[in-house]
Amino acid sequence: MLKESDVLKIVKEDILRILGEEKRKISLKSMKAKIKVSPPFMSKAIKILEEEGLISVEKEFIRLTKNGSAEAEAIVKKHLVLENYFKETRSEREAHRAAHLLEHQISEEVINNIKKLFILKKEGVPLTEFGFNKKGLITDIMTSDYKLFERMISMGISPGEIIEVTNKIPNGVIVKINNKKIVLNKIIAKEIKVLEYEKS
Amino acid sequence: MKNLKILLIGQPNVGKSSLLNALVGPKVVVSNYPGTTVEVTQAEKVFDNTRIKLVDTPGIYSISDRSEEEKVTEKALFEEQVDGVVIIADASSLERSLYLVLQILEAEIPAIIALNFVEEAEKKGIKIDSEKLGKLLNIPVVPINPLTKRGISDLVDSLFRIKEEIEVFRVEYDDHVEKAISEISSQIKENSIPKRFIAIRVLEEDRDFYRYLKNKRIIEEVKEGLTEHPRVAEDVSITRYGTASFIAEKVTQIVRIKAEKTSQIQEKVDNIFLHKIWGPFITFLFLLTVFGILLYLGNLMQDFLMGLTESFSSSFGMEEHSIIVMVLVQGLTGVVAGVSIALPYVFLFYLFLGLLEDVGLLSRFVVNAERFLKKLGLPGKAFIPLALGLGCTVPAVRATRILASEKEQFRTASLFAFVPCSSRIAIIMGVVGFYGGVTLSFSVLATSLVAGLIWILVIQKVIHVKSEHLLLELPPYRKPLIKNVLAKSWIRMKDFVYIVIPLLALGGVTYGVLDILGLTEVLVKPFSPISAWLGLPDVTIIPLIFGFLQKDLTGAMLLSVLGSEVSSALTTVQIYTFGVAATIGIPCIIAFGMLSKEFGFKRAILLVVTSIGYGILFAGLAWRAILFFM
Repeated sequence: MLKESDVLKIVKEDILRILGEEKRKISLKSMKAKIKVSPPFMSKAIKILEEEGLISVEKEFIRLTKNGSAEAEAIVKKHLVLENYFKETRSEREAHRAAHLLEHQISEEVINNIKKLFILKKEGVPLTEFGFNKKGLITDIMTSDYKLFERMISMGISPGEIIEVTNKIPNGVIVKINNKKIVLNKIIAKEIKVLEYEKS
Repeated sequence: MKNLKILLIGQPNVGKSSLLNALVGPKVVVSNYPGTTVEVTQAEKVFDNTRIKLVDTPGIYSISDRSEEEKVTEKALFEEQVDGVVIIADASSLERSLYLVLQILEAEIPAIIALNFVEEAEKKGIKIDSEKLGKLLNIPVVPINPLTKRGISDLVDSLFRIKEEIEVFRVEYDDHVEKAISEISSQIKENSIPKRFIAIRVLEEDRDFYRYLKNKRIIEEVKEGLTEHPRVAEDVSITRYGTASFIAEKVTQIVRIKAEKTSQIQEKVDNIFLHKIWGPFITFLFLLTVFGILLYLGNLMQDFLMGLTESFSSSFGMEEHSIIVMVLVQGLTGVVAGVSIALPYVFLFYLFLGLLEDVGLLSRFVVNAERFLKKLGLPGKAFIPLALGLGCTVPAVRATRILASEKEQFRTASLFAFVPCSSRIAIIMGVVGFYGGVTLSFSVLATSLVAGLIWILVIQKVIHVKSEHLLLELPPYRKPLIKNVLAKSWIRMKDFVYIVIPLLALGGVTYGVLDILGLTEVLVKPFSPISAWLGLPDVTIIPLIFGFLQKDLTGAMLLSVLGSEVSSALTTVQIYTFGVAATIGIPCIIAFGMLSKEFGFKRAILLVVTSIGYGILFAGLAWRAILFFM
């Protein structure tokens, strides 16, 4: 089970890392684009970081505070080290991901969970195998048909969204997402990867 | 006087048509089935010395070219001169509506957001700060309620100012996407559509926009530069959606998240209507009941209208046997047949269909039907045109537009050769049933069904269509507005009244002229091989041929060529054969006209000839088989 606190930890560290890498103030908007995570996490993480005095939010921009800079620098360094370490054994993309994973320094159990997290796409359970009436976080949409992909996104079926299966029917599943009910056939439902999600 | 042309766009079922109703009066169809408006509806009204032309478009979730509905809107947006758009947003799922808003802003089309379902959202504990939303996007946001007319005059006020140039919100993509956008932008020909927007569409693999490129090689070049980001199109839509939900989150205040009682009831109802056994059973039962009621009420209305029209036509006086009067009488007989047989049936049918749609049941039926249609290689959505086909083939052909590809549309349209419309049901019940008994009329229906199934199996091999996945929004169950249902039935019937009835009169007149000139006999001769194949008397070809001009006259003409003693002139098997031959095939010249409008003359004629030929072939084989086994 994925916990809200785990996700928040990752998002927080990612925000610090990006600010550290860019070395300038960044608009909330572009931060949002860089960290593909659903908005509640984003705003919560920013709020916590602000409370902890690591960042300051001014109008639409966020910047690191003194304390934050130190913290961010450490994270960036760690990320680089890890990325270089993994580059020897894996492709660049893989290395980036692995570094991403380890830099958060969390317990092995959490790492196992996070391996399935949306940051590490392609993990999670197909929606067809996901149980009834529990909340799931969409981690990835696997289809290679972009038209279908975009159609799903525009209907609100997007990574980072919370989805709930309300009915299973012989030809597919009926889900509730964003207050809307949508019927998906099995082929599409299989492409949607979800993780059980709990608000903590 | 100033002129403004404004497009209304939004997701399916978001209230575009009801907004249009509220703006200009009750002239447009409003439905509870996603994707009912397949054509663009226009309405005009003068407000304070400005003539505003409002264009209602089919519901879309995004500007993409996935299905015909979306193409209609895309065309209206980019190929016609529009002064601006009103985007109707759903307050209860704002992020999804904002996705479309952000795309429109990317296209730099002046826009206003009309925020609908504000009260419903508040009941769910969702409060939207529309002022803040307006400030963030820098476009007007007007909360509306088309039913109570809330916000309508504010909306009109902001329409007057829609052309004012302002710097609107813009989605910023990841660096690699932005780089690709600027690279593509530099290779775009000068035209009226913003380059950034075209570049984004190109990145999103929308082939309709490739023609704006100076050199198509740029696409490959840009992609080669993006090896680290192989899924660039997906990055675009995810970022856009992320931005949409980010904005939505900023302006949304969740008061309480509690499952509403009504939503629990909705769940329970869905548990029944979408049950794996009960669902299809109820769907079938509903259709059957609708037909039962239809036949009963249709007959009542038919008797009543027949009486009226007969007394009307007899007032012309039959003593004057001048040629003109005889021709007129034939023409009138055609109209009478149309008015008294088809009109009540077609109208009632659309009334029931409209009710199912507005209650929210139709989309559930689509889901249930999909399981079976899929086995025939048809998408679930084909249920709608096929069901409409039971009323009249003409509007049903147009309804195939809700299907994703033209091939799929054509393939489904070809099935109207086997889905009996009201006129063909009238032949099956009225002629075959009346002279040959109920069992015989059911055997005709069954034969047509078998012929249709064989046809589907064959056509699957001939026309290959990539299967369309079921991905459909289920609207909430709602109480239907009777006014709305009536208006909708009327609009669907308009085709029938304005196109079909005049043609019925024309067909009758043609027959009258031919008859007076004694040409019918000559006409029959070349067809004698067909009547021989069908095992029918030569003259029965007349009602079959004229049936194509006006299906509703088939029965009456059969009587006029054979005399009233049909049962003595034809054997039971011959009545059956006649019924089958009259049923299978694209039914009439009006349906042909609609087919050729939708798919072009060549394909229409191909379909008509093939399907009628197939019907005749099948009828001939069927009666031989029956005689062989009996």
